[in-house]
Amino acid sequence: MTAAFALTGIHKRYPQFALEDVTLNLLDGQIMGLVGVNGAGKTTLLRILTGLVRADRGTVQVLGLSMPDDQVAVKRDVGFASEDMRLYKSQTLRWHMDLIASIYPGWDEVYARDLLRRFDLKSEQTIAGFSHGQRVKALLLLCFARRPRLLLLDEPTTGLDPVARSEVLEVLSDVLRDDSRSVLFSSHNTHDVEQLADSISFLHRGRLIASQDKERFLDDWRRIVCHGAATPQWPEIAMARRNGSVLEIKVRGYSADMPERLIAQGLVVDSVDPMRLEDIFVTTVRAGAVA
Amino acid sequence: MNSLNIPVIKRLIAKDWLLFQKQLAAHVLAGAFALCLLGLAKPWAFYLGSLLLIIVLVAASCFSISTSLVNERRDQTLAFVMSLPISPLDFYLSKLAGNLITFAVPFLVLAVGTIAVILFTPLPDGLVVYSMLLFGHILAAFCVSLSVAMAVESEGWNIFAMISSMVMINPFIMGLGQIESISAIARGPDIIFNAPVIAILAAQLVLSVALLCLTGWAHCRKTAFY
Amino acid sequence: MRLHYLDNLRALAMLAGVLFHAALAYSPLIHPYWPPADRSQSQLVDIFAWFLHLFRMPLFFMIAGYFAAELIERRGMLGLMRNRARRILIPFAVLLVPIVMSLSWSTQWAAANVQHPSPVLQWVAQFSLQANPPQLPPSTSHLWFLYYLLWFYVLLWAMRSLLPETVWRLPERLPRWWICVAPMLLSPALASVVAPHPAPESFLPQFWAFAFFGSFFAFGTAVYRRRGWIDALSPIWLASIGVLLYGLWFALLRHATIDPSNPRAPWSLAILGAYISVLMTLACWVAGRRWLNAQSRVMRYLAGGSYWTYLLHLPLLFLAQYLLMDLSWHWSLKFAIAVFATLLLSYLSYELLIRRTELRRFVG
Repeated sequence: MTAAFALTGIHKRYPQFALEDVTLNLLDGQIMGLVGVNGAGKTTLLRILTGLVRADRGTVQVLGLSMPDDQVAVKRDVGFASEDMRLYKSQTLRWHMDLIASIYPGWDEVYARDLLRRFDLKSEQTIAGFSHGQRVKALLLLCFARRPRLLLLDEPTTGLDPVARSEVLEVLSDVLRDDSRSVLFSSHNTHDVEQLADSISFLHRGRLIASQDKERFLDDWRRIVCHGAATPQWPEIAMARRNGSVLEIKVRGYSADMPERLIAQGLVVDSVDPMRLEDIFVTTVRAGAVA
Repeated sequence: MNSLNIPVIKRLIAKDWLLFQKQLAAHVLAGAFALCLLGLAKPWAFYLGSLLLIIVLVAASCFSISTSLVNERRDQTLAFVMSLPISPLDFYLSKLAGNLITFAVPFLVLAVGTIAVILFTPLPDGLVVYSMLLFGHILAAFCVSLSVAMAVESEGWNIFAMISSMVMINPFIMGLGQIESISAIARGPDIIFNAPVIAILAAQLVLSVALLCLTGWAHCRKTAFY
Repeated sequence: MRLHYLDNLRALAMLAGVLFHAALAYSPLIHPYWPPADRSQSQLVDIFAWFLHLFRMPLFFMIAGYFAAELIERRGMLGLMRNRARRILIPFAVLLVPIVMSLSWSTQWAAANVQHPSPVLQWVAQFSLQANPPQLPPSTSHLWFLYYLLWFYVLLWAMRSLLPETVWRLPERLPRWWICVAPMLLSPALASVVAPHPAPESFLPQFWAFAFFGSFFAFGTAVYRRRGWIDALSPIWLASIGVLLYGLWFALLRHATIDPSNPRAPWSLAILGAYISVLMTLACWVAGRRWLNAQSRVMRYLAGGSYWTYLLHLPLLFLAQYLLMDLSWHWSLKFAIAVFATLLLSYLSYELLIRRTELRRFVG
């Protein structure tokens, strides 16, 4: 399998923030969720992939081509939608669709019309009259209908009302069913990532702190509640919180012998539960360690 | 170096004109009105018409730069454009060509019209040289404004560059008046290009071309396009 | 659907231009200002020529407006501009200089060689003796109509870009009695110039020509949207009133005194002229629809070559009339020979150079 993109040793320094030594790959046909708090560097990473930002150091390969040197060829096959990307307010959505259709030979008008209907958008309305949700949906429509090989979506569901969000997620999961398409989407909404992604990467303060297959990721973590006096200090324990005699611990790199080892420490194990991604993410960020 | 993406460059120019269409239409109407005023062949109408034409020229070039470059950044549509299959050089060339053409049409009408008026009326023909120097200044001022708009993000600096470069025409006219060999030509019946005239025209042209090339070079070395 | 009667009407308006320009040589009224003005003259020429003059170009501009609206609907504004660049801008840019030069050459030749020169030729001969003859400003000659058409397409685009659809569609909603009032609005344009109105040949556009011919052009675009609007009008009635008013106009013209330092038509002539223009233009339009809608081979051929003929005719006509100038024949014979020679040469060149070549895409 070839890589949809491969970032190697990427550095990008801003006065207030730096992206440091990011190495990240996405295999063809895979869907990666990029999770991080606001300001973690998600948008910068996506901009580097689309050529909107040039990295200070490191190499960027997208669809087998080198960025930014081959950006024209790369951008023909990449669809990029970002939260802070705006359309022309004075023009209609139809005008934007025609512009994109005239530039991308792969534009699928039938699909575009279907998306118009599903997103409940009026193509003859000017963008100035669109709500935030409609603007996001319009941008996604323009991306999806050109049928790109790689989709880079920056916070596609942020700020959407529940209805718009479910519309977008529904279409997104349809798009993702197409195995030839690779997707990287960033979000701080871990539910969306959990629902859609094959693999998950955590970005925190400009560093990549985890990048793994989703199932393995979720398999790796457990929340264990026990009671007793001991508080073990093992490296795999990302967080331990005591409330009286009750001890709640969150474990990365969970193994089946963990409950026995806890019992050996004099603790009584009450429950061992898999963790939601959000919980894993928050724990990781708080622990400030590698997930 | 990749080859230029000409079809997309053309699309982008057409797109910028379309976004600029209403202002362009207003400028065309004002330009037509100004030419009709000149056509009345009355001194007051001639004065008013030529003034209006200069206003149209300056306004068209400033609005064009503003709509295609300054607004694109302010309205955050730059990322949308740069996500299209173009390189920074393609983008620069589309902006350059679109703005140059928008500027060139009223500029040429005004320049050719002025020279024709000088040649076909009792005005001394030497004024042709003088007016060419003034048009040279307007061209250089336009290139300054365009370059600043490409290179500097601040709207304030852009407005400052547009206004100050055009206003500099006043000291320029006064300066020309100080050069006796040029003002003598302007009063005379012959069109003479002497050394000071050629030097100033060459400086204006070189400055214009050099600025645009430098801006293009700097633009291609930018590290952020959003 | 192609409307044959408009093609035919346009062709007739063009060919009428040849007759009109040919007739001017024998018009007493324009004798002092027309280069090939002949010794042999007739008041009859004035009566017919100036009648034609009042509605020939208005009709032409109205048809042009109609076709512009049709082109916009079929191919969009860009399609219109592309088509007009090919059919109007390129012929204008290519032919203007040779036509003006050949007119200038033949006029100078005539000034030097003709024994019975017109006042203009005498004036040219006098000036050519001066050391530094004054230069005339560049002119669009009889191609002014192409120059104005280009302006009208640009202005049409500008208006449609600026004004909301409801505004530029306003003329379509006007009631039919509007044509009784509309000419009053045109009369200031005609009152600002001499009567009969001159050809706006200067490169600097003229307000009056924009207002006068531009209104017919705009009316043509509006008629396209409401095709049935003028069809119910009676051509006989329109023409009858038009002819009656023209009788009055002509009588007034003969007694009008025009100040040469500020040549303007009196309001009476301007108002009458505007009414005649509108009534006769509409009469021609409706009559064409009734009686010219057939597509005969002869008419199709004539229509095909009419544009080229009109572009080419003036230099040929001037040359023919300069050559005939010294002959003491009756004006009608000279008129017939000049027209025949001009049309023959124009259509011959059309047949040989245009009709079967790529050039027909431009001027066919």
